[in-house]
Amino acid sequence: MNTKQRTIKMLPLLVGLVVALIVPLIVGKNQYNMVLVTTVLFYGVLATAWNIIGGMAGQLDLAAWAYLGLGAFTSGTLLLRWNVTPWLGMILGGLVAAGFAALVGYPLFRFGVKEVWYALSSAALVEVLRVAFLMWDEVGGPVERYLPFHRASWYHMRFASYVPYYYIVLGLLLIALFVNYRISRSKLGYYLLALGENEDAAEVIGVDARACKLKALMIYAFIVGATGAVYACLFGFIHPSFFNTAQSTEVAILGIIGGMGIVYGPLLAAIILVSGREFMRANLGSSLESLYLAIYAVVLIVIALFRPQGIAPLFRKAYDWLLSRVVGERYAA
Amino acid sequence: MENIIQNLLNGALMGCIYALIALGLSIVFGVMNVVNFAHGEFVMLSMYFTFAAGAYWVLDAVTTPLITFPLLFLFGWLTYYLLIDRTLRYRYVTQIAVTVGLAILLRAIAQMIWQAQPRALPYSMIQGNIQIGGINILTSRLIAAAVSVVAIFLVYLFLMKTWPGRAIRAASDDLDAASLAGVNYRQTYALSFGLGTALTALAGGLLMTFQQVDPTMGLRFGLLSWCVLALAGLGSVPGLLISGVIVGGAEALAMSVWDPRSRLLAVYLIFILVLWLRPRGLFGRK
Repeated sequence: MNTKQRTIKMLPLLVGLVVALIVPLIVGKNQYNMVLVTTVLFYGVLATAWNIIGGMAGQLDLAAWAYLGLGAFTSGTLLLRWNVTPWLGMILGGLVAAGFAALVGYPLFRFGVKEVWYALSSAALVEVLRVAFLMWDEVGGPVERYLPFHRASWYHMRFASYVPYYYIVLGLLLIALFVNYRISRSKLGYYLLALGENEDAAEVIGVDARACKLKALMIYAFIVGATGAVYACLFGFIHPSFFNTAQSTEVAILGIIGGMGIVYGPLLAAIILVSGREFMRANLGSSLESLYLAIYAVVLIVIALFRPQGIAPLFRKAYDWLLSRVVGERYAA
Repeated sequence: MENIIQNLLNGALMGCIYALIALGLSIVFGVMNVVNFAHGEFVMLSMYFTFAAGAYWVLDAVTTPLITFPLLFLFGWLTYYLLIDRTLRYRYVTQIAVTVGLAILLRAIAQMIWQAQPRALPYSMIQGNIQIGGINILTSRLIAAAVSVVAIFLVYLFLMKTWPGRAIRAASDDLDAASLAGVNYRQTYALSFGLGTALTALAGGLLMTFQQVDPTMGLRFGLLSWCVLALAGLGSVPGLLISGVIVGGAEALAMSVWDPRSRLLAVYLIFILVLWLRPRGLFGRK
């Protein structure tokens, strides 16, 4: 691959990054819009991280918000009890989530829980944690626990505006994308793709499926857990309702619709679908409650039925077509 | 002690309804191998239909399945031809995406029509309670459980003795062989999906005699019926009933001896343990 081809390949990423960096300059005046774009990126991080376990390893994990909640509670409780900065809490939250993932993932993979049963047990996990944290009065309980209020404090990750959060989530997104990219180019990535396609065949040719799946699950849980710490700071409280089955399922759906195993696919789906949904919520929400959800659901169904490979290949084709028009066939990515 | 027995009994009765709901799921998953994540939403929908029939035509909740059963059969039949039939060619992941989309859609529609607050019907004609010794049992639950058991038995007879039932079982055992023997798989699948959906109408009618309904209810019933199905394993109708009773009993036991908030915890812990230790269920054939 020569430099020109490489440039062509990296061009959409660069354009996307520049656009992402200047978005706050355009909509930054309006805090509501800032929350919206942060939410979109936030789902982008979750779906991109999900791609490691769901897209590459083919394990349909529906427990994203379980790891997110664990990260949020770890970091939030550390901040409330011992005044530990969320910046450290992010890493500790990620570690707790990854440790918990290992604890749950080991027996699951050891006993060969697969496909729909893996999906269901992970969905049940979210509910188990929600109820457990509701009952665990020292840390959770039914009342929201508010994080210490500060007008602007880097130490507490509290800001007067949503713009810094946007950049923090953007940073997490870049990390998630980079990790995804590195895995997809590594030995682990090829192993994961192989066992995502056909687990028995992969094991026959010598892939240690259990270890690979566990690694993928832990990396995913770490990223999501760290994101959870930021989520807690963004909204300023922790509550057991963070363990949300419906939203966890939605992360997996974004990953499926984006294109399983394609690094940028889940991010594309998150950007298009979540921003579309939030736009509709803002504009239709007042006329008929949850009409926006119905439209969103219909779009999901139509894409899943008619584009089972996801929407990422469509964008690739469009980009290739654009390139062939602009610079000629020779350099098409 | 009496308190615990009473709770256990009530839980076991509730478990019979769970078994009825799981039976619908078991027909769909066992026969067609279709992963339906919207089954709980079907229960929610049929509860709302029951509410609507009860509220607008002043019907008793127990009698509404006469209307809602055919309605939900039709709904399931249409869902099969419009959505599920197209997903059979793809991996289970696509089926999950489509049925989750359907679940979100049904939840949104329910919220648009009936709003978010819980809805309930006035007292049913099977209200009251029966006292045996020191133990109180709700009449509505007792009758609901009895109707569920009878319905499960009838479906069992249908699957075992009638020609369409045999076709359904044949298709679940070996689709190709069944097709060669003259079973039209599409009609059989549509029938199974319709039947699986229609059974929730019965369950919905029974549940509405002592419970209220809200749009987020489906999630819980969906996971719960998968849990009963996992515990029973595929292919055993009586096993389903026993598993339902175990789940209902465990729920009640957790509530009365541990903590009222822990009912779901007990159910899901059983679910996860079963998946780890005995993936084909207690009574499963495959």
